[in-house]
Amino acid sequence: MTSAPATEPAGTRSSRASQRGRPGARRVRAGHVFVAGYVVLLAAFGIVPTAYGIYFAFTNAGNTFAGLANFTGVTRDFRYLPAVEHVGLYLLIWLVTLVVFVTSLSLVLHQLAARRLGRLVRFLYYIPGALAGAASVMVWLFMLDPTVSPAASFLRLLGYGTFGQAVEPGHLPILFAMIAFWTGAGGWIVVMYGALNNIPLEILEAARIDGAGAWRIAQRIQIPLLRKWIVYMVILAFATGTQLFVEPQLISLASLGVAGRDYSLNQLAYDFAFQNDNVNYAAAISVELLVVSLAVAALFVIRSGFFDAS
Amino acid sequence: MPPMNSAVRTRSQPGPPRRRAILAVSLAALATAALSACGGGSSSSTSSVKDGFHQAAQSAGPLTVWVDSTRVPAAQAYQKAHPGAKLNIVTYDGDANGADTLQTKVDLFDRTGSGWPDVVFSSQQNETSWAVSAGFAAPLSEGLIPRSVLSNFATGALNVCTVNGKVYCLRNDLAQVVLWYNAALMKKWGYQVPTTWPQYQALGLEVARQHPGYLVGNAGDTFTPEIYMWASQCQASDITGLRSVTVNVTSPNCSRMASLLDTLIRAGSMSKLSVFSTAFDKNEKGKVLMLPGPSWFGGAVFDTTSGLNMPKGQIAVAPVPQWPGSSTVSTGNVGGGTWLLSAHSAHLKEAVNFITWVTTNDAYQGDLAPGYPAYALAAKVWLSHQTTSGYYANNISPVLEQAAGQVWAGWNYGKWSNEAVWAATIDPGLTAGKAIVSMLPAWQTAITNYATAAGYHVSH
Amino acid sequence: MRADTAPAASRLAPPRTRTSTPRPRPSRAAGQLLAWLLLLVFLVFFVLPVIWLLLAATKTDAQLVRNNPLSFGSWHALRRNWDALTGFEGDTILLWLRNSALYASFALVITLAVGIPAGYALAMTEFRGRHALLVTTLVVMLMPTTTLVVPLFLEINAVHLIGTLWSVVLPYSFYPFGVYLAYIYFSTALPPDLLAAARVDGCTEFAAFRRIALPLSAPIIALVGFFSFVANWTNYFLPYVVLPESSQYPVQVGLGLLLDNVPQFNPTAGTAAVLRPELALATLLAISPVLIVFLFAQRFLISGLLAGATKE
Repeated sequence: MTSAPATEPAGTRSSRASQRGRPGARRVRAGHVFVAGYVVLLAAFGIVPTAYGIYFAFTNAGNTFAGLANFTGVTRDFRYLPAVEHVGLYLLIWLVTLVVFVTSLSLVLHQLAARRLGRLVRFLYYIPGALAGAASVMVWLFMLDPTVSPAASFLRLLGYGTFGQAVEPGHLPILFAMIAFWTGAGGWIVVMYGALNNIPLEILEAARIDGAGAWRIAQRIQIPLLRKWIVYMVILAFATGTQLFVEPQLISLASLGVAGRDYSLNQLAYDFAFQNDNVNYAAAISVELLVVSLAVAALFVIRSGFFDAS
Repeated sequence: MPPMNSAVRTRSQPGPPRRRAILAVSLAALATAALSACGGGSSSSTSSVKDGFHQAAQSAGPLTVWVDSTRVPAAQAYQKAHPGAKLNIVTYDGDANGADTLQTKVDLFDRTGSGWPDVVFSSQQNETSWAVSAGFAAPLSEGLIPRSVLSNFATGALNVCTVNGKVYCLRNDLAQVVLWYNAALMKKWGYQVPTTWPQYQALGLEVARQHPGYLVGNAGDTFTPEIYMWASQCQASDITGLRSVTVNVTSPNCSRMASLLDTLIRAGSMSKLSVFSTAFDKNEKGKVLMLPGPSWFGGAVFDTTSGLNMPKGQIAVAPVPQWPGSSTVSTGNVGGGTWLLSAHSAHLKEAVNFITWVTTNDAYQGDLAPGYPAYALAAKVWLSHQTTSGYYANNISPVLEQAAGQVWAGWNYGKWSNEAVWAATIDPGLTAGKAIVSMLPAWQTAITNYATAAGYHVSH
Repeated sequence: MRADTAPAASRLAPPRTRTSTPRPRPSRAAGQLLAWLLLLVFLVFFVLPVIWLLLAATKTDAQLVRNNPLSFGSWHALRRNWDALTGFEGDTILLWLRNSALYASFALVITLAVGIPAGYALAMTEFRGRHALLVTTLVVMLMPTTTLVVPLFLEINAVHLIGTLWSVVLPYSFYPFGVYLAYIYFSTALPPDLLAAARVDGCTEFAAFRRIALPLSAPIIALVGFFSFVANWTNYFLPYVVLPESSQYPVQVGLGLLLDNVPQFNPTAGTAAVLRPELALATLLAISPVLIVFLFAQRFLISGLLAGATKE
């Protein structure tokens, strides 16, 4: 997908340069017209709220400049450090399971399943993705309760006799990563599958003829070619992981507050904004999350050569 | 599913000076300035001080009432009784499950200067902890509602509404704690209903010995402290001012009850499960000998197919046990909604009519309300319906009426949720097998932390 | 990707002299079995809760707790759950579904009308600020939405749109992820020579877009359309904040309201109580449109990403 700029032969580039002038100016105007609608929406619902959010982070309730006071104030809250720990641990588990299992499932699916079966399996894998938020509170309330769960035997195998035991504080990072995987993996498998379809069949055929087994093909050909998509997935998963909110919130609802309350930084921001009436602290946390996500995105982009032509 | 956030792959072309970006930022700054100029400020310019607060300019128009789904019949009953009244009934979540919907919406309305409802119902008890200083809740005791009406609410029912001596909301229902018990079983086994907590503990140990599996109480709910600790006069949430609270849960009043709970849990006659959990439903059904709990346990736990579904004539009610030597009779309380009247309302007369009718009138509170009315006169009518139903094994009216006035006044509601703090601090430990007594210091710290984060000054 | 595949293939390509030998069968069979097992285990993981949900809608509340989790209830119970669910505040669930459909489809049309040309322009035309536009979009997308709610509300209120359809549809229509997808697609699927030829022939930019790009855009329209639809359908927070009346809620927020009336969460729900099987049924209703749209879009979702490879 990044082939276009790289393989653009020099000839085309120079011919394009020679087309600067009236057609070029027309193209520029057309460009502006084409993006006009999007720019309006971007300004209204993207830039302005974000700028306002950043403004909140550096001011206090009286609308006066507060420097870094909000950031230090947030750090001193008793829930802050535990939340950072929680999010860190969650991110680790979440990213590893996502990358490993999405990649392997896509590869296996691509290798094994015929067209119709493949479509059905991908659809079935995707269904949990439709159960976002409030819709899945009841599902998890029952799934994690050994008294009524279809997976009761599995839960008992792990030693959980009651719902309370299943949502013990130590289990939470894994639980949230599992729920996030359950809802998110299906979509990514569809994307990876499509990326795998991009690989020309001749390459795979050649390798097969040469006696390479499925694992070899995966290791030497497919995964390297999926590299950009995996990096893409990691960047997105990192950003959404730092903004962990839905999973602890729904477990908190399901458990009536026993587990998952004030678990993540985003939940803390939410509490600041809507419980303590402190939009400034909430904005400070949001800006921190934004900076971290941008930094990691930049890091991955640079180190993996994400922007390089393939 | 690939979320909306996605990294961008830009072409690595050297770009022109980022004029677009600068333009975008200045646009944003302009818009920000404009928005902050628009927002804030009160809606009316012609306000007068009357009945204890700045009243907005009055006008004719429909009365906007926010209710939760359970209270829709209340608004409809009002409409039926007042065919000429123009009501705009809006359903919202009623701040159920610890949501902050009302506070969030009022905050947004405050910023834009309009949109407040005239009357709003909340299922929480701590709305006055923010609504008074936010200028949303109108004082009702300074002229809007006569003293005669206010005094007919059960003793202490309006404590949750009272700030600095003024009443800022009306209590919808009470949830006074009483001792529910299975009269048939008690009779069968020859037990006496305990009147003191030591008797209760002794009975609990006896039951654990002679009839293992049967329960005399439950400690696994998030509202467990409001049943047991409150009744024991434990200072877990003693609100002493608008932003000050005394928290002292390691005191004898608290540890005596904690140790009672621990003893019975260890013996096995007190459950660690929530009464609404599937495990309780599946395993403990029919095994409940006694259960201290609020007045709404009758309809929500015993006499319902989604609960224990106990047959007629078995369940009875007694006053909650007392500690020997305590000077006052006290019980706890778990819930009870409130009605608030907006200080920004432009239809004060209609709003006052509505809020008074809906909390005091027999046609709703007596006949239709699902919970024990906080208004004592309506409560009599409500109780008469309960007794004519013939479900209970004894006459529950005198017990409930008496308990209504005995809710200990030393426990009130701050901006944080006591239930949430107990749930997050104690319940995981209970599940792991820890004793409540050993967790009292942690509970103290947690309450202090949350109260401080909510802007309260905490004294011990 | 062509450039990438050549070296990889050559690493595996044998010297012409070697004859290919078939691999021993048992280990390949074992590998295949393992792979099938992996697929199956995850199939159970993904699908078991959904099967449970389907069956839960056919039971009574007592059956839900007491009976085997994967047992079928009865058609009668399903009927009763349906009646009770639609009885909640008078067919409100259907109203909520209608609202969701309305908001998501209106937003879909605007998203496509705005995003596809934008993606095209970002990919195929040169104009000042292109780079800045892409970077700004990234920053905006990574900002957590918690603090965006207040300014968003103020903005919408400033133009007097609170309480209207547009307070929800317009923010939904801002879908930067869709614009990026379109950008990627157009930069790889459209042969630049085709456009260059058209321009040499004197075609205006608009005509080039309409005559060349648009006919080739079916896959990306389906792709962006699907993702946008699902994102808007499952959005909770924005409608929760900006919509004043519960009759305007989309089904996602409506589910939250139903949850608030389940006796196990709200013991004093009284006559407004929503039993758990009814909630299960409501959840199934809420997710069906998304699944139906997915089924339709699936073929485009794959071919949409084939851009760049298949045409060669």
